[in-house]
Amino acid sequence: MPTYELAMMLRAMPKVELKNSLLRISNAIFERGGIIRDIENLGFRPLPYKTSAHGLVHREANYFVFKIDTATTVVSDLKEEYSRDVDVVRQRVFKVTEELEHKCTLEEELLPPAYRKEVQKMIEVGKTQVNRFTHKFSYNSGLDYYPFQK
Amino acid sequence: MALFKGTILKSIILNTHRALTAGIRYASVEVPTDDSPVEMENPFTKERRQCILCKLNITPDYKNYRLLSQFQSPYTGRIYGRHITGLCKAKQTAVEKEITKAQNCAYMPYTYKDKAFLKDPKLFDPENPVRTHRF
Ligand SMILES: [Zn+2]
Repeated sequence: MPTYELAMMLRAMPKVELKNSLLRISNAIFERGGIIRDIENLGFRPLPYKTSAHGLVHREANYFVFKIDTATTVVSDLKEEYSRDVDVVRQRVFKVTEELEHKCTLEEELLPPAYRKEVQKMIEVGKTQVNRFTHKFSYNSGLDYYPFQK
Repeated sequence: MALFKGTILKSIILNTHRALTAGIRYASVEVPTDDSPVEMENPFTKERRQCILCKLNITPDYKNYRLLSQFQSPYTGRIYGRHITGLCKAKQTAVEKEITKAQNCAYMPYTYKDKAFLKDPKLFDPENPVRTHRF
């Protein structure tokens, strides 16, 4: 399982240049002792919002996802390197999390409020919060006037 | 004297009666007939409801932006709440998390729904939420 996913958006460019920049990106990973498990090409498509990078406004991009294994200390270094790369419009790194075994709790959530666990908990908390402000002002405390509204 | 005899007789009769009833009860436990009630689960319990993502065993992923855009309003790009989508808590938070990731990666727009996905099948009806809301 890869530990990180690199989502890269590269600027619109001819195929040869694209190949070169992909090589550059992967070499940066290899130089730092990382492994590339998989490269996914999600295609060339218009960006949902215009993005400015390196003094240019981009409206289209080549989408790539790199699935990589690297040391955690390398990630910030990689990000810094790609931020200087003129071909990279946008880049994001996500940690891949393992899928957890999960049982659907919709049935419990659709119960009437009185039967829901969280509501019962709230009621229990509410019971401890009644009559919180019962402290009475004592006139012999040194203040010679009553500080609250009567 | 006669009264004393009477009480003794009474007690004897009562005791024998008690013994008899106890014996009968004991026998009924020991020998079940085919007509006796059978231990079974309640046959009238309804089937456990599941949300659509749990039923189809789908884990939302930020790369699958087409699925995620189905949980987005076509007018404002806002993520529909749990009372509309009908998802369980865990899946709803997962969907929201993945949508923000996808929007961050420029896979998905923030303020509208991609017009290519406007005719996708509807997973739920925003007009008829599970729980009423004030809008
Ligand atoms: Zn569920």
